[in-house]
Amino acid sequence: MQDLLKPDWGVLALTVLNFALLVFLLAKFAWKPIIGALEKREQQVRTDKEMAEKARLESQQIKQELDDRLAHISQEAAQKMAQAVKMAEAQQAQIIAAAKEQSAAILAQAQEQITAEKNKAFAQVQNQIAQLSMMAASRILAQEVDEKSAARVVEDVLKEVKTK
Amino acid sequence: MNVSEIISHHILDHDFGVMLGNVRLPITAHSVTIFCVSLFLLGALTWIAQAHKNRAGRLLTTLMEEYVSFIRDGVVLPNMGAEGRSMLPYFCTLFLFILSVNLAGMIPNMKTATSNISVTAALALCSGMLILYSGLKYHGLMGFIKGFVPSGTPLWLVPLVFPLEVVSTVIKVCVLAIRLFANMLSGHMVLLCLLIIVFVVGQMHWAAGVGSVLPAMALEIFMTCLELLVAFLQAYVFTLLTAIFAGSVIHTH
Repeated sequence: MQDLLKPDWGVLALTVLNFALLVFLLAKFAWKPIIGALEKREQQVRTDKEMAEKARLESQQIKQELDDRLAHISQEAAQKMAQAVKMAEAQQAQIIAAAKEQSAAILAQAQEQITAEKNKAFAQVQNQIAQLSMMAASRILAQEVDEKSAARVVEDVLKEVKTK
Repeated sequence: MNVSEIISHHILDHDFGVMLGNVRLPITAHSVTIFCVSLFLLGALTWIAQAHKNRAGRLLTTLMEEYVSFIRDGVVLPNMGAEGRSMLPYFCTLFLFILSVNLAGMIPNMKTATSNISVTAALALCSGMLILYSGLKYHGLMGFIKGFVPSGTPLWLVPLVFPLEVVSTVIKVCVLAIRLFANMLSGHMVLLCLLIIVFVVGQMHWAAGVGSVLPAMALEIFMTCLELLVAFLQAYVFTLLTAIFAGSVIHTH
């Protein structure tokens, strides 16, 4: 059992040599390509992650810009709407004023026409009264008139007037 | 043959007695096992490292990449920092080599070479060389020597602290060898003892021998599972401690 702890220098040296050679050969033919592939893949993952982060930031920025623009457009639309309402109100007031003016003018014109027509009618009535008076007077003057005949004349004149 | 001789016979290295003239060549069961394991690792890993088109090859390559990433991120970088990156191939080889040699004992006609103090001493020597190389590479000779004296140590304590620190480093490396050797040896001894129980009891009475077969086998299976766990654990501990010691030399206090 004491041999268990007795070192075999030959085995020790051979193991050192064997292991050193194995490390060297594996480093050259196995670990180098594997570590290279691993680092390449990790680099790819890092690049993809960075790109994704960049794209996320860009999309966030674009969204912010669009939101700002949308807010601006809404504000502008509200302003334009208010302006249009104001313009429409002004136009409405203008149209109402013009209509009122026009109606007043038409009314005045109508009143003038009515007055003229009235005056004309008065003039005609006056003429006719005058003519009738003249006619009545001439009839009265043409015959001797008693009360009964005078009344008959008046009735005749009135009938004549009614028929006219 | 007594029990002690049986155990020694199964655990001790067998020299095949190959001579070159008058010089004895160290061709033993353990050195042959180590050579076979090295050949297997070299062939398998070189094949895996190539770019494969078939699914199995790609799977194995991915598995090895995961293994390298485990050693790098779990062992080397946390203990040695970025300086350890260049030594990653050493640690990748160390863990796989120790694990393979530990497990080789499970294969019939092969031996667990790590139950030989010469083999574990050789591995510890390689790790010691790596620790020395790390110190010299990053601090130079004077810096490396100064690293043995913690900063803030009073001048009058330096002659006491310096040899203590040097011996401590050497002991750490020696302990690496002893820990692996003791763990692998004890596991094999227990396995052998459990088997021998059947024969020892059987010598007393044949019925007792037959009756002890089942319990002995159950314990044997349990211990084999434990040995598998120990094989992984000791490979990891050896690799981790080498990284910690190398890291402590690179990043001195």
